[in-house]
Amino acid sequence: MNDALQPSKDRVFIEVRDLTKKFGEQHVLRGVNLTVYRGETLVLIGPSGEGKTVLMKHFIGLLKPDAGSVVVDGVSVHRLRERQLSATRKKFGFLFQNAALFDAMTVAENVAFPLVESGVRDRAEIIKRVHDALEVVDLEEHKEKLPVNLSGGMRKRAGIARSVVANPQCVLYDEPTASLDPVVADVIDQLIMRLQHRFRVTSIVVTHDMKSVFKIANRVAMLKNGVIHFCGTPEELRNSPDADIQDFIEGRSHLQG
Amino acid sequence: MEKILRLPGRAFLNFLTYMGQLAALLANLGTAVRTGVWRLKLVAQQLVAIGYGSQVVVIVTGAFTGAVFTAQTYFKFKDFGVEAGVGAIVSVALCRELGPVLAGLMVAGRVGASMAADIGTMKVTEQIDALRVMAVHPVDYLVLPRFIAMLISMPFLVAESITFGLLASHCAAVYGFGIPQRWFWNHVFEHTNETDLFCGMFKGFVFGILITIISCHQGLAAENGAVGVGIGTTRAVVFSSLALLVVNFFLSILLNYIFPMGVAT
Repeated sequence: MNDALQPSKDRVFIEVRDLTKKFGEQHVLRGVNLTVYRGETLVLIGPSGEGKTVLMKHFIGLLKPDAGSVVVDGVSVHRLRERQLSATRKKFGFLFQNAALFDAMTVAENVAFPLVESGVRDRAEIIKRVHDALEVVDLEEHKEKLPVNLSGGMRKRAGIARSVVANPQCVLYDEPTASLDPVVADVIDQLIMRLQHRFRVTSIVVTHDMKSVFKIANRVAMLKNGVIHFCGTPEELRNSPDADIQDFIEGRSHLQG
Repeated sequence: MEKILRLPGRAFLNFLTYMGQLAALLANLGTAVRTGVWRLKLVAQQLVAIGYGSQVVVIVTGAFTGAVFTAQTYFKFKDFGVEAGVGAIVSVALCRELGPVLAGLMVAGRVGASMAADIGTMKVTEQIDALRVMAVHPVDYLVLPRFIAMLISMPFLVAESITFGLLASHCAAVYGFGIPQRWFWNHVFEHTNETDLFCGMFKGFVFGILITIISCHQGLAAENGAVGVGIGTTRAVVFSSLALLVVNFFLSILLNYIFPMGVAT
């Protein structure tokens, strides 16, 4: 981690304390404690179904915790009602796993949506900012297409453009490279790094792709059995003596063939 | 045995829960009306989809209902030699009951299904979460424009259904059964007035609220992918239609109490 990203109290952007969440009988999060610092790229890893996306959705109030607290930039989001969350949500961009582009809108309209809804009325400014965002993700020539006519990688890139166009302080990526071929996955990783350098945003990435983890992460947190099992730098992760961590990194199962 | 005994209780609790959810959506809609941004472009799009798009189905339904009701009434009235009075019966029935109820049922089928399917698909593909992430309340963006468009469209669709019902009734009575044109329209205007038309349009307004709330709720509550959207769409049409028929009964009693039928101006 570079010096600018050294943890300090005033650099805390998100603070999660004793977060618990159940869905029916399924106890997904069992007391998660996690701190996210401004400007860093934190990667959340862990076995499937362990609640990484669930945890991330708590950061922006898409889910309410059963117990515990989520403080974002000094605001206790777990206490806010849906309509009170607007100010906090405007600090975030969110890339959904399937991009969640609006079917009825073109790529350009999708990317312009956060600007229009945040009150930008100057048409020339909207066009310029949409153009800039699409240029970063290399989709300018596809801006008039509907999402249904895009490939998986293009949809993800359009989703990234929509996530960053309103200059959020933090972008949340939910499995940005899932189901993409290695080359396109690398393009997405490069984009995440480029955006972090260009816009200095805090990035939180949920992924299973260990290649991505070691490429983009400043810090890595591993969620296992509903708690943060490990939190540290990629180097510390790689050198961890923990067998579970090494199995996860190497993709080893202990099932007998 | 115990399980069987529990069924009515569970059904009643589910019904209360459902009513609570509808009331919560209505309250949220009230907040949206007061504090939300009125997206006039979306309202205009919905006016086209709901109002303009329902023209054919409402006109055809109204016209053929008017024509067939005229024929049946004529066949019976002829036995008593009062066939000239067909216009009176048909016009009152069309204004107070058939026009609003049939237009409402057709709109519930056509528009209610579309609302539930559109919103439900957005729900299961995380597009509604995407709206929330971008600080846009789904009720403000998806329900409010549909609600406003429905409230504007429904009374006019009902009026249109009544108008075409009467025109078709006129054609059937005058050209089909040889009732003199003057007799037909004299009976229509003697026994129907603007209050009857108002009752029909008011019913349309109430039905518009029911269809929008029930259908949008089904869309917003959709889960489990395409299967969930299908279930939500079916429920939207069934629940809207049933609610419309039940509410129509009580509304008819209430409106007849406030504006008694048969009082010609």
